[in-house]
Amino acid sequence: MLEIKNLHARIADDGTEILRGIDLVVPRGEVHAIMGPNGSGKSTLAYVLAGRDDYEITEGDILWNGESIIEMEPDERAAKGVFLAFQYPMEIPGVATMTFLRAALNSVRKKRELKELTTPEFLKLVRAKAAELGVSDEMLKRPLNVGFSGGEKKRMEILQMAVLEPTLCVLDETDSGLDIDAIRIVSEGTTKLRGPDRAMLVITHYQRLLNYIVPDKVHVLAKGRIQKTGGKELALELEKSGYADFTGKAA
Amino acid sequence: MNVTTLRTKAESQIREQFDAASASLPGTGWVSALRARAMDTFAAEGLPSRRVEEWKYTDLRDRLREVPAPAAASPGSVTVADIDAALGPVGAIDAERIVLVDGVYRADLSKVTAEATVIELMSLAAMLTKAPAWLEGKFASDGGPVVSLNTAFMSDGVMLKVRKGQDPGRPVLLVHARTSAEPSAIAVRNVISVEVGGKLTLVEAHVALDGAARGALANVVTDVTLADGAACDHIKCLVDTTSSTHLATWNTKLGKDASYSGFQLTASPALARNDINIMFAGEGSKLDLSGVFLARGSEHIDTTLVVDHAVPHCESRELFKGVLADRAHGIFQGKIIVRPDAQKTDGKQMSQALMLSPDAQFSSKPELEIYADDVVCGHGATCTEIDADLLFYCRSRGIPSDVARAMLTESFIGEAVEKIENEDVREAIGTLAIGWLRDE
Repeated sequence: MLEIKNLHARIADDGTEILRGIDLVVPRGEVHAIMGPNGSGKSTLAYVLAGRDDYEITEGDILWNGESIIEMEPDERAAKGVFLAFQYPMEIPGVATMTFLRAALNSVRKKRELKELTTPEFLKLVRAKAAELGVSDEMLKRPLNVGFSGGEKKRMEILQMAVLEPTLCVLDETDSGLDIDAIRIVSEGTTKLRGPDRAMLVITHYQRLLNYIVPDKVHVLAKGRIQKTGGKELALELEKSGYADFTGKAA
Repeated sequence: MNVTTLRTKAESQIREQFDAASASLPGTGWVSALRARAMDTFAAEGLPSRRVEEWKYTDLRDRLREVPAPAAASPGSVTVADIDAALGPVGAIDAERIVLVDGVYRADLSKVTAEATVIELMSLAAMLTKAPAWLEGKFASDGGPVVSLNTAFMSDGVMLKVRKGQDPGRPVLLVHARTSAEPSAIAVRNVISVEVGGKLTLVEAHVALDGAARGALANVVTDVTLADGAACDHIKCLVDTTSSTHLATWNTKLGKDASYSGFQLTASPALARNDINIMFAGEGSKLDLSGVFLARGSEHIDTTLVVDHAVPHCESRELFKGVLADRAHGIFQGKIIVRPDAQKTDGKQMSQALMLSPDAQFSSKPELEIYADDVVCGHGATCTEIDADLLFYCRSRGIPSDVARAMLTESFIGEAVEKIENEDVREAIGTLAIGWLRDE
């Protein structure tokens, strides 16, 4: 279970407060959506969960399975099962996608006290998951994300998620910049990972992604706080009414 | 009026060494005269100091306090296994092999299986001894102080020719091995030519064998001439941790519709100066130069290019990447000249340094001299630390900080290494570079 308690966070450089007391609980087995207008703190929340040091937590706590993670390094969090699918995945020229995936998988397996996979085991695993996501062998050989289209990059994020088998998946605007076919592929890949041991937090600006990844709960984030929580129908309401009701409210 | 040149200790040593050695260096007649002229040309200016613009960042007069004696003839106890051990991954490349030990061509350690109708190979010393008249024209008289010194002292080297329309099919590995247990100086001259439509992949490896003395000095000049339609991939690698000084000069001339891809890996000499001089002499030719320089401690690596677009419709690309740790100093000087006639020239240059320490230093001096009006030329230089966003991305995937840093450093140089076309060579060079990085 993910428990976010009265979380306050600010930009380390200039002290601008972005998160102003977030309270949120996502039990294992559930998918929750976070929706909100631009500048509401959605991406900051995603980064803070993954441990980016550009942000300082000034108050509150984040517990994953009862254990506080806010003092942990990003790679330790990954080993504990936290995974962030980036809104803008990074390009790493000169590092083959396979090499990167292998380094990541072996790192988390080592910390999870599992043995490293042999080369054939690893190739078999990646190829099977890649096929499901329409990621070609050619893409796997290329440097990570270099020259990939927006859709290919997002599929690569989901492939990484599938390979690393995290238990807490945070998807930051995975639908941004994608056409409807790409959204479908990415959503199917994500939906396959739904399971009783896994919690998911799907961050999005638009309702359309939630047609494919149907959430158990929807939270509205604005001005650094959760303003409203409801069922999946809340997403449809927001689609009609927009975020004006929330952005007008005092924080 | 008498002009007295103030000599440094090193300059005096060079003159004394020349006087002592000149009688025993290969060649008589015009060869001796050529050597004596080159010595005089050198002596007139002496070692270049920072007051000479091209040597602004590498003050050789100041840095070269003493010059070791020319290498004595090697005792001959070197084996193929010794060479392989020093070459590491480069030794595993399937290649024709030519070996020079302490500046002397060694037929016993070389193995060239290509037919004489494909490749012609001669020892330079043997040619200097024969001294045919046509050979004299191969030695430029205005190559600068380092080339003059090389001409004065050159002990040997190879003359390698790929015949018209021929392709040896596999790379030619030219090994410069150093064994001398005493600090010594070598001067080697290689003369490479690829005739019309010929193809060559040449890998120059500079290695110190186990037990070789520290503080050696190597001066290696490689002249490459590509005839019309010829193609040459020229790769040089130096991984030397014996505190040596490495002075290397490439002089390459491209004919019409020729293509030349040069790559240099330079890791950990005490001091290296890589001069690369490219002359476009025929239209429609392509140049792709790249390199990686890796330095730590107080190591100093200078790469200085002059690309001369003397004719129209040629394309040049340069990409050099450096990784600098501790107090190391990396230098990149890249001059592109576009002559008045050289319309439709397309030139792009980039130099990038990754700084692993706040005390490391990178000096970059791009120079464009453009006299034609219908050209596309650009240059850029960057000096960065490891990208924090990329580091976070890797770590968010569970990759620990030190592994992620190593991976990103490898990624940084990978872009240049990927320019090497031959897969075996690319992998061997990549392995050498990564080996250096992981030694951090």
